[in-house]
Amino acid sequence: MRTAFDLVVVGAGPAGGEAAIAAARAGLATCLVDEGPAPGGQVWRAPRTASARGSGPDADRRGGDDLRARLAASGATILQGAQVWDARPGFTLSIVGPDGASLLSAPRVVLATGATEHVAPFPGWTVPGVFGLAAATTLMKSQGTLPGRRIAVAGQGPLLVAVASKAIALGLRPVVVIDRNGIRDWSRAAPGFARDPAAMARGLGWIGRLAAARVPYRARSEIVGVDGTDTVRGIVVRPLDGGAERRFDVDTLYVGDGLAPADELLRLLGAAQESDPLQGPRAVCDADRRSSVPGLYVAGDGAGIRGAQSAAAAGRIAGLAAARDHGALTDPAFDAASRAPRRKLWRLARFADASCRLMRMPEASLDRIADQTILCRCEDVTAGEFRAAIADGARDLGQAKHFTRLGMGPCQGRMCLHAAAHLMRRETGALGDLRPTPRAPVRPVELGALIGTYDYDDIPVPKAAPL
Amino acid sequence: MKGRHYDLAVIGGGIHGGSVALFAARGGMDVILLERGALAREASGSNAGTLTMQMTRAALIPYALKAHEMWVKAPDWLGHDVGVVACDGLSLAFTEAEERLLTERAEARSAAGAPIRLVTPDEARGIEPGIGPGVRMASHCPIDGYANAYLTGLAYRRALREAGVRIREYTPVTGVRDAAGGFEINTASETIHAAQVVFTGGVWIEPMLAWLGVHLPIRTLVNQLSVTERMAPVMRTVLGIASGLLSLKQFPHGTVVIGGGWQGEGTRETGRHVTTHDSTVGNARLAVHALPALANGRIVRSWTGFEAETADALPAVGPVPGHPGAWVSGSVHSGYTSAPYIGRCLAQAILGAEPEMPLFPIDRLLPDAPDPRNGPLP
Ligand SMILES: Cc1cc2nc3c(=O)[nH]c(=O)nc-3n(C[C@H](O)[C@H](O)[C@H](O)COP(=O)(O)OP(=O)(O)OC[C@H]3O[C@@H](n4cnc5c(N)ncnc54)[C@H](O)[C@@H]3O)c2cc1C
Ligand SMILES: Cc1cc2nc3c(=O)[nH]c(=O)nc-3n(C[C@H](O)[C@H](O)[C@H](O)COP(=O)(O)OP(=O)(O)OC[C@H]3O[C@@H](n4cnc5c(N)ncnc54)[C@H](O)[C@@H]3O)c2cc1C
Repeated sequence: MRTAFDLVVVGAGPAGGEAAIAAARAGLATCLVDEGPAPGGQVWRAPRTASARGSGPDADRRGGDDLRARLAASGATILQGAQVWDARPGFTLSIVGPDGASLLSAPRVVLATGATEHVAPFPGWTVPGVFGLAAATTLMKSQGTLPGRRIAVAGQGPLLVAVASKAIALGLRPVVVIDRNGIRDWSRAAPGFARDPAAMARGLGWIGRLAAARVPYRARSEIVGVDGTDTVRGIVVRPLDGGAERRFDVDTLYVGDGLAPADELLRLLGAAQESDPLQGPRAVCDADRRSSVPGLYVAGDGAGIRGAQSAAAAGRIAGLAAARDHGALTDPAFDAASRAPRRKLWRLARFADASCRLMRMPEASLDRIADQTILCRCEDVTAGEFRAAIADGARDLGQAKHFTRLGMGPCQGRMCLHAAAHLMRRETGALGDLRPTPRAPVRPVELGALIGTYDYDDIPVPKAAPL
Repeated sequence: MKGRHYDLAVIGGGIHGGSVALFAARGGMDVILLERGALAREASGSNAGTLTMQMTRAALIPYALKAHEMWVKAPDWLGHDVGVVACDGLSLAFTEAEERLLTERAEARSAAGAPIRLVTPDEARGIEPGIGPGVRMASHCPIDGYANAYLTGLAYRRALREAGVRIREYTPVTGVRDAAGGFEINTASETIHAAQVVFTGGVWIEPMLAWLGVHLPIRTLVNQLSVTERMAPVMRTVLGIASGLLSLKQFPHGTVVIGGGWQGEGTRETGRHVTTHDSTVGNARLAVHALPALANGRIVRSWTGFEAETADALPAVGPVPGHPGAWVSGSVHSGYTSAPYIGRCLAQAILGAEPEMPLFPIDRLLPDAPDPRNGPLP
């Protein structure tokens, strides 16, 4: 297979898909790499089972089908089931896929790696039977099912309502929906939402379905604990401004507290970020999506949380800008082609802000994390152990990692580091990102897949160390 | 600004600086330790933690044996846990050339005092059942083991505090000068005076000695390592190969660290270092060849660190010529293993006593000295 391209796009969601289509159509030898089985990313994920396919196309499915069809016709080389596990400026990307490890090279790269879900830790969030809201959407889209008989849906923002409503459509009426926001917060978001009438209509449809099913709704409330250690037997809920706690009998909990950019490759390549209260650590980039690293473009939620429609528009601009910088598009052609997506981005900015405001990391809840609560689920590090590391002198998360193993497990810190950074800033007055030095591999890589087939004699063993 | 006066200033808070500071303070000195970042965040906190004789240079075996004994008893002298596990060590040969290398190296190391013995593939399999099918010969050493290097900073911080060492983290030293009654040490915020000074800057001992006009060339190696997620037990020894370019061990919590000195990229001047694709894949291939069960493991993290090497790849530990009271300690091969013992010997010299074992003075490495590779060892 060819390994040198004009452009490599990482991530085949709305952002990466549109970037690849725009660049390939402009004539760039373009390679689109994605770890999933088919293009679509999170929101436009392709169905994998008959029951998921049978559920009838909704807007997300139509968006995905359209993207997949246009990608197939675009002329871009598409590598699915391939993870990018390392990257160096210039650029070389280390890939591992069905055929082992290989390298791709290109003078330009678009990063469109999407988002990771946050959960603000609470006692029992690691009990089997507790799932993320984002994971729920993944399951519903690819498998057409959702585990659980008596489910609760908790957290904040559009995903909360989407999951609760889609569960009803699957015949699974939630026992309760617990929302950190209240009616006031949602009404405040309405003008922003109105910027995307189709999405607004869909959202109102979800709310209508919840109302029609008379799903109990707890506004401005959060989960204070899960009852059960091996399975979920119930949850305890409390209003944010105090008041009586209430227990619900459930066997499964879906909970999510917003999204953070999946910025591992961005950080590994040394691209600048700035903290943004709504978007998370946001990639510094110009209006054409050029990052601070020459030749590196960024689009979609990986560059700052903005949602699927904005991701698609930004991806298209990034693909066009790469083509222009490569000399494949004239300035006037670039200006003309990028006008529509720019307008769309501008129009959607308030929509994105409104969504992000509803999904914002609940810092007040983080501040209240009790010492016994697990902060790092892979390594079972509690908030108390983390606070002890701070007392022992840890001043950044790299050091806290050494002291406690926080972030050393298979999720590589994706689940815990944002919450841990918040706690550390709070307790030490430290500023900035505080996350450990980014390291390859950006996803766990199986050794068997990494090594491929080889002869012992071909291993380039260096010269023996001196005796 | 006039600063305080100390008996000893230690510049560089890795395991070498930490050890010499600890023993000097225990010997009664008033010690300050100055570290640019936090303690043991460079080589000393990111190394593979192998406490092995089979990768140690023959000339250092006597020191490494003493140090191994200290590591096993860390609670006694350090007082804090660095997760030391003592176990068997095996070094494997897969080719004829490796058999020759293994034989020659086992002989030299046992002559230096390490209880290393050549064993058949079957014997090796009795010691470590999971080794790969192509093993032709192995060398076995009952004195081996590992520490959890990332715990070094925390353990030393506590021990140094208890010993009364003044610890200054996030305090880069910008220069050192000879001064009346000792040395003047400059940082961004103050000037410190000390009767004696030790340079323990790892790969940065070269720029440090340049402050005193001494030119000690130090080569910077960029070693890389990988670690798997937790796995069910796959091994119980420290496993290597004849050339020394593989080291494997499984920690009690289940992760396997894969190393052996494969090179990443980076420079001492920028302080940045990264892994390379080829080294990660090559090291992984060697690892799976030696221990096939690793194929099912997943690497969760690879990283790199700087290791210092002198022209003759032997330590730079001793007085700085022409500057009485100035000392240097670093560039010790398998330098994590030997550090506590070498630190103790150096502290003895600094306290005015005869060190238990000889140091490795740097005169041989300075520009006017005869090429050390031609002469006898110190
Ligand atoms: C789990 C999850 C579910 C979500 N579900 C919904 C939903 O139902 N509705 C909604 O409106 N929004 C949803 N969101 C928000 C959603 O992420 C965005 O609105 C939208 O998908 C962003 O598009 P994108 O192109 O930026 O990223 P994504 O659509 O996330 O696409 C990024 C793609 O890059 C791939 N990738 C990342 N890193 C690598 C790598 N190193 N190597 C190879 N491939 C890589 C990912 O697997 C993914 O396929 C979800 C988010 C998450 C995290
Ligand atoms: C990846 C890797 C794996 C290794 N594996 C092993 C192994 O398995 N077993 C083994 O025995 N050895 C191993 N080694 C070697 C061992 O780690 C080193 O020999 C040892 O840690 C060196 O310690 P040090 O104190 O001399 O240097 P360092 O730990 O590098 O400490 C030097 C310190 O000086 C500080 N400094 C520098 N400049 C200044 C300044 N201007 N002012 C103040 N402070 C300053 C630095 O910040 C640093 O903390 C490995 C090394 C590496 C890199």
